[in-house]
Amino acid sequence: MAAAGLDPTLTTAALAALEEALNRALALDTAGQQQLGRLAGCTFAIECTSPAINVYLQPGVERTRLLGFHDGPVTTRVRGAAADFAELAGASDPAATLINGNLALQGDSAPLIELQGIIGRLDLDWEAPLVNVLGDVAGHQLAEFLRAGFSAGSAASSSLLRQLEEFIHEEARLTPPRLEVEDFYSDLQALQQRVERLQSRLERLRKRMQGARA
Amino acid sequence: MSDKRTTHFGYREVEEDAKAGLVANVFHSVAGRYDLMNDLMSGGIHRIWKRFTIELSAVRAGQSVLDIAGGTGDLAAKFADIVGPTGRVVLADINESMLNVGRDKLLDHGYQGNLEFVQADAQYLPFPDDSFDCVSIAFGLRNVTDKDLALRSMLRVLKPGGRLLVLEFSKPANPLLEKAYDSYSFRMLPFMGKLVAGDSESYQYLAESIRMHPDQETLLGMLEDAGFVNCEYHNLTGGVVALHRGFKA
Repeated sequence: MAAAGLDPTLTTAALAALEEALNRALALDTAGQQQLGRLAGCTFAIECTSPAINVYLQPGVERTRLLGFHDGPVTTRVRGAAADFAELAGASDPAATLINGNLALQGDSAPLIELQGIIGRLDLDWEAPLVNVLGDVAGHQLAEFLRAGFSAGSAASSSLLRQLEEFIHEEARLTPPRLEVEDFYSDLQALQQRVERLQSRLERLRKRMQGARA
Repeated sequence: MSDKRTTHFGYREVEEDAKAGLVANVFHSVAGRYDLMNDLMSGGIHRIWKRFTIELSAVRAGQSVLDIAGGTGDLAAKFADIVGPTGRVVLADINESMLNVGRDKLLDHGYQGNLEFVQADAQYLPFPDDSFDCVSIAFGLRNVTDKDLALRSMLRVLKPGGRLLVLEFSKPANPLLEKAYDSYSFRMLPFMGKLVAGDSESYQYLAESIRMHPDQETLLGMLEDAGFVNCEYHNLTGGVVALHRGFKA
């Protein structure tokens, strides 16, 4: 994580901690770790413009590395503000977000989309570390409780979001629905094209009239 | 008056021939508790400095690396992980005790196959020309009697395009930090050395040798004089430590 003006000790320490946390989490999802192993040899450069931070991510078969400096070839380089990266991380359709969003992409996009998919599909199994600490019975019970809690929380959150969206669009009519907005922008684009064509015709007509007078 | 050339050993002026023996005694004395003392003295930050060194080395799978004054093998272990089974890492140290501790530690941790251990003097490296993609020396250069000779030796064994990394204590950029650091290293280090390693004199030497070591700009000039190109340095922890990097053309 090379950040302008910051002591490399701080940025390197932050990356070391982040890398450790990431690898501990990946160790709880063996399938995810195996999928990441398929990207071994790839280097992803994440260049955040605001705040100015560069991070290089290198997936590996056993361990994923996070670097602040990298001199070798880069598979995919993504540049943008922190908010743009947050949008990509949470996107249901990352390919569309990459194409339509504000992120600048350089290199091969397929491994990046695969990486985003793997991270999005991570299914962490908390049971193993809990069982190691609490024993088989208590660890299993607590893991079941947590799983049920996460599942209910996730369902409630998605239901709440859906209802909130319906309320904003349909009941309170605070904003138009997405399809209506897209339709409006499509009409606007068509109108803009027609205006530009009309402007060109008028310009040609003006030149022709000036030629006739001369 | 003796006409023999002299050099510094901490704040003492000693004959050049004697320095290697004096330094050797220091490291024979501290080898057993070296890792523990490093963690205690730096608060664990030496691991971050070494991690940064690894990043700037840009070492890749299959490459060959020489870690001079490799001591207990922190850097060599990381390099061995990166270069993999097709690569080669040589852990070199002039001091037999340090090399033994490093070899035992790495073998106990399962490192073998791509790792070699060599007792070698940094001034006269026993390797053919153009042998390594990367040469590193962490917290070792200040103990070398003739630093210019050592740097030229490192340049010789590097392959063209290869890089040298020198991680070493340096001069803090901020005067306040420098005062605090002086106070810490001349009072706390010998005390901790006595308490943990039973040897305050070695840690007194450590503090003195750091002050006698060339500052960032001087060392940068020495790298350039030795023949390295595209030389640069990065201050770490406010300049308490600096990482110098140079390339062989």
